[in-house]
Amino acid sequence: MIRLRKGFCRMFSGKNSVAAVVLAVLCLCMATTGAFAQTFNIDITKPSFQRIPIAIPDFKYMAPEGTQLARDMGNTLSSDLDFSGIFRPLDPKGFLENPQAIGLNAPEIKFPDWKRLGADFLVRGSYQVNGSQLRMEGRLFDVVGGRMVKGKVYEGDVRNWRSMVHDFADEILLALTGERGVFDTKIAYVQSTGSAKEIFYCDFDGNNPVQVTRDNNLALSPAWSSDQGQLAFVSYRDGAPKVYALNMRSGAQSLICGYPGMNISPAWRPGRNELAVTLNKDGNPDIFLISSTGQILQKLVHGWSINVSPGWSPDGRKLAYVSNESGNPQIYVLDVGSGQKKRLTFSGKYNTAPCWSPKGDWIAYSGTAGGTHNVFIIRPDGSDNRQITNGEGSNESPAWSPDGRMLAFSSTRQGGPAIWIMLTNGTGARKLTRQGGSQELPDWSPRMNR
Amino acid sequence: MRRNLLNVFTFFLMFILIFALGACSKKPVPAQPGFGGDGSASFGGSGTPGGPGGMDDARWRELGINSEAEKREFLERAKAFENQDIYYDYDGYTLSDPAKRVLDEKIAFLKRYAKVRVTVEGHCDERGTTEYNLALGERRANSCLQYIKNSGLQTEKLTSISYGKERPIATGHDEASWAKNRRAHFVLNY
Repeated sequence: MIRLRKGFCRMFSGKNSVAAVVLAVLCLCMATTGAFAQTFNIDITKPSFQRIPIAIPDFKYMAPEGTQLARDMGNTLSSDLDFSGIFRPLDPKGFLENPQAIGLNAPEIKFPDWKRLGADFLVRGSYQVNGSQLRMEGRLFDVVGGRMVKGKVYEGDVRNWRSMVHDFADEILLALTGERGVFDTKIAYVQSTGSAKEIFYCDFDGNNPVQVTRDNNLALSPAWSSDQGQLAFVSYRDGAPKVYALNMRSGAQSLICGYPGMNISPAWRPGRNELAVTLNKDGNPDIFLISSTGQILQKLVHGWSINVSPGWSPDGRKLAYVSNESGNPQIYVLDVGSGQKKRLTFSGKYNTAPCWSPKGDWIAYSGTAGGTHNVFIIRPDGSDNRQITNGEGSNESPAWSPDGRMLAFSSTRQGGPAIWIMLTNGTGARKLTRQGGSQELPDWSPRMNR
Repeated sequence: MRRNLLNVFTFFLMFILIFALGACSKKPVPAQPGFGGDGSASFGGSGTPGGPGGMDDARWRELGINSEAEKREFLERAKAFENQDIYYDYDGYTLSDPAKRVLDEKIAFLKRYAKVRVTVEGHCDERGTTEYNLALGERRANSCLQYIKNSGLQTEKLTSISYGKERPIATGHDEASWAKNRRAHFVLNY
């Protein structure tokens, strides 16, 4: 656990030049997670799903310090849990007690009061600062059962308080749904300023945008590898579109493939150091399997039509892609082992940009409906086609969050294209990017290795 | 003696290497052809590197142009060559009869000036999605290359590049603008 944490810190320190801090997890108490998940059986894909009301008072400071951090920690945790689409944080204005007076242990907590306020769960956080050192503790209580569900202690540099809070938000999700949240993930996208398009990535909540390319040229199609270690993208920096990758640890960028003509639409094969790309070196835009150094391993899809935008199934055995072999762009699924192709979409005349959900149960794509692009999801067997966005500008390029609960996409619903996220039932849409210019082509990173 | 030779050789290699590195670092970022869309970006600019302004007599002769009159004729025809685009239907890349007539004129130009280097750009309107449009633009540029090839012309000096919907010439959001953007655009690299 500690070793992996170091990797996590190295990642942040590399880019943000924050001194590496050991975010040591000292103890993990109360791990009744599995049983709890069964009890609550939270399934947000159900249409009847209601967000869980949760109370998050300001954190309690154990030694006299400014109250600002107490408030910031509470707000950050509240924002994370709201973002997850699973919780509905209650307005702290309605809380009956001074947050500094609320107890930290079950016997001291007035559960009936919290119940009356409508909270199903309560988070009590506390911290103390000693010089540059922060000790933070988070505790999750089940208000109905009147007991602690999860507790975790963090120690490290005070500047890293945000990652500690994000991690505890992850722990809360893990405890209640059986799966971690996505609070350590990143979203890569294309930022347009004038005629230039550059690759950026930001935190899951739109904070900390980092610029990857600075070519004042065209860069497109960012794609994360399944270990979040590499970010592939297309750039015209050398005149023609070629595929490059940013190594997230070293910060170095290198050419992956630059065959004559067009090298576009990279997609890392899950769990392997291989990518599917579209190349037209043989005269037709075909999909190839290549190594991370650009060596061609296999021609996956070829013919006389356009074949583009590969998206892998999570097991890396199947590939969704776009072909116009029927006369207009439709989604197809290739079984890589057998070479069998199957057309997936039949409604609408323009279905592109497939993205396979991390659990393998859905394929999201952009389809035309009502004269604009909208986000759809469909089962990999072609059943249960659902339109997720409707009547709000053009909505394109869906990308799944690694827990499969949310989709990032580009939307013109509020002016120029920006990155938005929403729950997979189409609710809870919020704008992620707050930069000028426009943003498009999001790709949501997997979780960091733990 | 042998050792000395080796040293000289090593020195020589290093010299070449340093020179090569210097040349690389000084190399100007190549101008994106067709940004202006009307050909002006790569043509007619005074002293544009690689353009007519920067050309010497030897290069003109190489292109088969030996007099001022021929030069004027070339410049006139080059302007038309760059300014006339090939247009396509929505989501289409087959050549219409008017498109073929424009290409026939380009073929005549390429036959007369067999030594020019040409980039054929494929462009799309904004309605499609990014990656599919990159492939569609490639098909459009390729349809021109195939047509030129079928006329019996050598196409080694012709390259293609797709910009998808990324470099529109018209920025409106209506059919008039879209129709202008669904095009193949020829750029002379001299």
